[in-house]
Amino acid sequence: MEKANFSEDRHTARVAVKPDFTWRNAVDAFRVNVIHARQQVRSPVTNIARTSFFHVKRSNIWLAAVTKQNVNAAMVFEFLYKMCDVMTAYFGKISEENIKNNFVLIYELLDEILDFGYPQNSETGALKTFITQQGIKSQTKEEQSQITSQVTGQIGWRREGIKYRRNELFLDVLESVNLLMSPQGQVLSAHVSGRVVMKSYLSGMPECKFGMNDKIVIEKQGKGTADETGKSGKQSIAIDDCTFHQCVRLSKFDSERSISFIPPDGEFELMRYRTTKDIILPFRVIPLVREVGRTKLEVKVVIKSNFKPSLLAQKIEVRIPTPLNTSGVQVICMKGKAKYKASENAIVWKIKRMAGMKESQISAEIELLPTNDKKKWARPPISMNFEVPFAPSGLKVRYLKVFEPKLNYSDHDVIKWVRYIGRSGIYETRC
Amino acid sequence: TQAISLQAPPTQRLASTFVLAAPIAGKSKEAEIKRINKELANIRSKFKGDKALDGYSKKKYVCKLLFIFLLGHDIDFGHMEAVNLLSSNKYTEKQIGYLFISVLVNSNSELIRLINNAIKNDLASRNPTFMCLALHCIANVGSREMAEAFASEIPRILVAGDTMDSVKQSAALCLLRLYKTSPDLVPMGEWTSRVVHLLNDQHMGVVTAAVSLITCLCKKNPDDFKTCVSLAVSRLSRIVSSASTDLQDYTYYFVPAPWLSVKLLRLLQCYPPPEDAAVKGRLVECLETVLNKAQEPPKSKKVQHSNAKNAILFEAISLIIHYDSEPNLLVRACNQLGQFLQHRETNLRYLALESMCTLASSEFSHEAVKTHIETVINALKVRGVGPLRGQERKGLDVRAGGGAWMSGYSLEREVVAILAEKYAVDYSWYVDTILNLIRIAGDYVSEEVWYRVIQIVINRDDVQGYAAKTVFEALQAPACHENMVKVGGYILGEFGNLIAGDPRSSPLVQFNLLHSKFHLCSVATRALLLSTYIKFINLFPETKATIQEVLRSDSQIRNADVELQQRAVEYLKLSSIASTDVLATVLEEMPPFPERESSILAKLKKKKGPGAGSELDDGKKEPGAEINGGMEPSASTSTPSPSADLLGLRAAPPASLAAPTSAGNLLVDVFSDSPAAAPGLAPGTDENFLRFVCKNNGVLFENQLLQIGVKSEFRQNLGRMYLFYGNKTSVQFQSFTPTRLPQLNIQTKAVDPLVEGGAQVQQVLNIECLSDFTLAPLINIKFRYGGTLQNITLKLPITLNKFFQATEMQSQDFFQRWKQLSLPQQESQKIFKANHPMDPEVTKAKLLGFGSALLDKVDPNPDNFVGAGIIQTKSLQVGCLLRLEPNAQAQMYRLTLRTSKEAVSRHLCELLSEQF
Repeated sequence: MEKANFSEDRHTARVAVKPDFTWRNAVDAFRVNVIHARQQVRSPVTNIARTSFFHVKRSNIWLAAVTKQNVNAAMVFEFLYKMCDVMTAYFGKISEENIKNNFVLIYELLDEILDFGYPQNSETGALKTFITQQGIKSQTKEEQSQITSQVTGQIGWRREGIKYRRNELFLDVLESVNLLMSPQGQVLSAHVSGRVVMKSYLSGMPECKFGMNDKIVIEKQGKGTADETGKSGKQSIAIDDCTFHQCVRLSKFDSERSISFIPPDGEFELMRYRTTKDIILPFRVIPLVREVGRTKLEVKVVIKSNFKPSLLAQKIEVRIPTPLNTSGVQVICMKGKAKYKASENAIVWKIKRMAGMKESQISAEIELLPTNDKKKWARPPISMNFEVPFAPSGLKVRYLKVFEPKLNYSDHDVIKWVRYIGRSGIYETRC
Repeated sequence: TQAISLQAPPTQRLASTFVLAAPIAGKSKEAEIKRINKELANIRSKFKGDKALDGYSKKKYVCKLLFIFLLGHDIDFGHMEAVNLLSSNKYTEKQIGYLFISVLVNSNSELIRLINNAIKNDLASRNPTFMCLALHCIANVGSREMAEAFASEIPRILVAGDTMDSVKQSAALCLLRLYKTSPDLVPMGEWTSRVVHLLNDQHMGVVTAAVSLITCLCKKNPDDFKTCVSLAVSRLSRIVSSASTDLQDYTYYFVPAPWLSVKLLRLLQCYPPPEDAAVKGRLVECLETVLNKAQEPPKSKKVQHSNAKNAILFEAISLIIHYDSEPNLLVRACNQLGQFLQHRETNLRYLALESMCTLASSEFSHEAVKTHIETVINALKVRGVGPLRGQERKGLDVRAGGGAWMSGYSLEREVVAILAEKYAVDYSWYVDTILNLIRIAGDYVSEEVWYRVIQIVINRDDVQGYAAKTVFEALQAPACHENMVKVGGYILGEFGNLIAGDPRSSPLVQFNLLHSKFHLCSVATRALLLSTYIKFINLFPETKATIQEVLRSDSQIRNADVELQQRAVEYLKLSSIASTDVLATVLEEMPPFPERESSILAKLKKKKGPGAGSELDDGKKEPGAEINGGMEPSASTSTPSPSADLLGLRAAPPASLAAPTSAGNLLVDVFSDSPAAAPGLAPGTDENFLRFVCKNNGVLFENQLLQIGVKSEFRQNLGRMYLFYGNKTSVQFQSFTPTRLPQLNIQTKAVDPLVEGGAQVQQVLNIECLSDFTLAPLINIKFRYGGTLQNITLKLPITLNKFFQATEMQSQDFFQRWKQLSLPQQESQKIFKANHPMDPEVTKAKLLGFGSALLDKVDPNPDNFVGAGIIQTKSLQVGCLLRLEPNAQAQMYRLTLRTSKEAVSRHLCELLSEQF
């Protein structure tokens, strides 16, 4: 249970938020033992004198939660991230300058999202109804009670009476694909972690239903209509685990596996998921390293794109580590630009765009300086970065239906946009 | 080495030379690593064999590498370039090369030959700066290899007539360094006498370096350097008598050559007073001058001036104390120290007290020191306690000076204790002083001080009553120090009766007073107090009920601490069972301690350590001092009566020691004269082992953790043994490895390294007896229990008699063979006392178990036992006849063994004789 939150700047180390006096020394302890620790603190949880400090870092700002009890660490971190989101929504980037300028606001926010150490409503949309950055508007009693009932009510994340001329919604499927591959091309581990982010501009209190090619759902439906199983059976995906935004009715998900919700206004993360099976690996890296004597190394790397030729991958970057005693590098590549970056001990090969089902190659000659060190080079894996316009997990949005019984607009009137972005997480191939 | 490190350029200069630090420093760690990676890649590309680098850039890059290394990054190239720099003719290039090598090249590098070569060239060159650089490099590396290569070279340079002063200086320090690392490699020779003459050198730097070298060398062979005394004295007198401006560069804040003076004075402390009257006179004159100078008004207000002056003064005083022959000087020194005792400066007071301590043991200065007792006590009272608090209040930086303060503080305590004892005429005054000391500053009083006070009180009848009264009063204070409680408990337990007459200190009042302190004390003190209580029961029977009540309470009788619990239980039983007479005997007053050297003085002497006068002290130290110093509080209550054991005072029962290895010292005592016991055998091995001579199965070893059972069978010269290792704990043993120590031809099978809690593992040993043997094979068992490694060594119960094959024969045959084996070396006979009841049936069983056949009706005396058998080994068979004659009246046995082999007879006789 967090008792107090304070965020600190790296240099000034000032208590910015909630300076509970009993926790003054906790702040000092954190500053001395974590922020200015002689060795870099890598664990996000630090125990100092039977007190646990959970911290996240945003550039040079440290956000720490403190507790003396055995709390759910995942909950604490979720809260800290939520807090970051809220602050970002209110004043943009979390920087020293912004925090200094929004001291009072942060107090107010903390007051609202945390009571006696229990996280409360942290939905930006709802918070914005009563914590505003503008001058104090005199609200009528009615309005005040409305806010109260809304915030404390069943649907705390959305207020009533929202009206848009154009009902519009945006769905983003953002995935990051992680891979570790052996030199022979065997997949050692691969998983995709994805998010479905929704931006809704809908009037009233719309009831939404989201459908995707979840294996369980498809199979369930498959019993009814044989036609559909034939069409989408192979395209369904097995989701290992997923979490939802608080607006999703979990009971319905548990019983029918259908995702129905009343969305908050504006942008929010509808769900997070992870898959490990049948991942489409957008790129294949084929390394070839040959040691020519003690002073020379020949490296050849081929990358193959493995998706529909009509799609274009972007921001491709291949990073080939070089030995620590490299004294010179000559690179030849057909496509893109390649450069030896001494400061990172790697050859970095960048390609702006690449269509599917293509391949490209780079070859490099690395000259080595003979050393008296007998240590062998550990050969770190070749890593890759890219962005592709599809979901590597194979996830497809099948539908997003909107019902608003009170207002007279139907599902067909809503303009819907769907976008898929697949990015590389840790995408490595051993060589 | 001081001088050497001064000449090496500081890293800042390195960095600023090449403007490398600026982009590196200041940014984040990641940025620094990136920058360094880039820099390293650049240097690597520059060092890439194909193009020749000029000296300047080579120097530049080597220097950068050095800087990067000093920042904490690994450097694995550039060594060759650095070695190349050594052969350069430019000073800066050579310097950087040497610097890199002394920092980065380790002694087992392949380059060491090249480096040594370069150093050799430089040493042989006529260029003094190059020679210096080479010498610095040798000293900075200072490895054994360096010493091997150059130890014979350097003395030559040192004493050569044409060597420059600066080179001489470096050579002296370099030699000193080599001598310190590997003294065996520095050859002594005719150069030693010439080194002494360096003391006469014109150049002060050379003299300073030479004094350091000589001081170190003369500790090993003082005779070689004897001549240095007179030279040192004359040098010293020249310095001391010189005006502060005479020595120019070597004058430090108006003090002429303070370092050299201190070093010379220290050198003189290695030798007895000079015999030559002229030299001695000159030295005394010098010392007097030094003492006189202390009285002069300071020439500067700077702290450096007084520090330098005092350094010389204190060293001079140590020399005076070391000589211990000039009463006049001693008195002056003492007075000077007395002055310092009143000084405001804490460090000075500390130093003065330390010197005073050593001074106090001198004969001549007795009287003088005595006059300063008051000062010392004042220092304790006024300057000791008061200012400490005051200083804390003022918020002075305790961290900086704290260490010195505390040690100084405790030292003061000791000084007071020692001085008080040494000059105590009236012991009641002594008791007062020490009790005051404990009261005021208990934390800083070492254990010895209160042991001593108790010794004194017990040994002096006249102060006992007074001590009891004083202690009782001191204990009245609401918060008193634990040491005070200890003294109080002890003294009241012994002599509480002397003040019991006064209603204000009636027995019950005494008891309540002590018991009020009880709960706040440590276990040791509480244990002592429990002993006091039982003594109270003896002294004042009227308190018995109250005390028994206390002992019976759960907090005592069920105390988690074994010591306290045991005491409570035993004292309670003792008090309820024993009659008053027995009690009075058991709990008699302590006998006086044998008058030994004061434990505090012993400690002081020990503390002085291997300093100047240590030989003298060693001679004086009595063997008893140790015992005295080591007296434990619990031991102090032990009584001379045999019931001492009942009280269980001295040692905690070893039962609580879980690890068998920790009982090792115990074992050494028990088995130290038994040649067969290998060092480190587990306790109880031998008893167990002997039981196995006559039987094959049973428990070989058992402690809290492990039980080892044995089952064995033998046929002819072969045998098989099963060892069962049982884990008695509930915890897994890890890396469990029994290994047999190689002696017999035994094949073992490996055992699973994990033994689960409560589980048993079995190990099979196949044994073959190749020839006769006497020593039983050993088995070593190692395992991890919890985190600790347990190590048990056991004797395997395999003895020669296991390979006995019984042979039946007739009386006639027996005696025929008996006569055949009549050579004196074939017979072994032993007469011994019976250790067990003499039961013929048991004896018979044992003989059968031993392996021989029992032959009935062979011996004319039916009480005697006669046996025969053959020892089967692979190489030979040994026929064996035995005869055992018990003598029931005398409880003795006579055992005779005749075999064809002398060693076998003797061994079997020994083995068998242990069994009855």
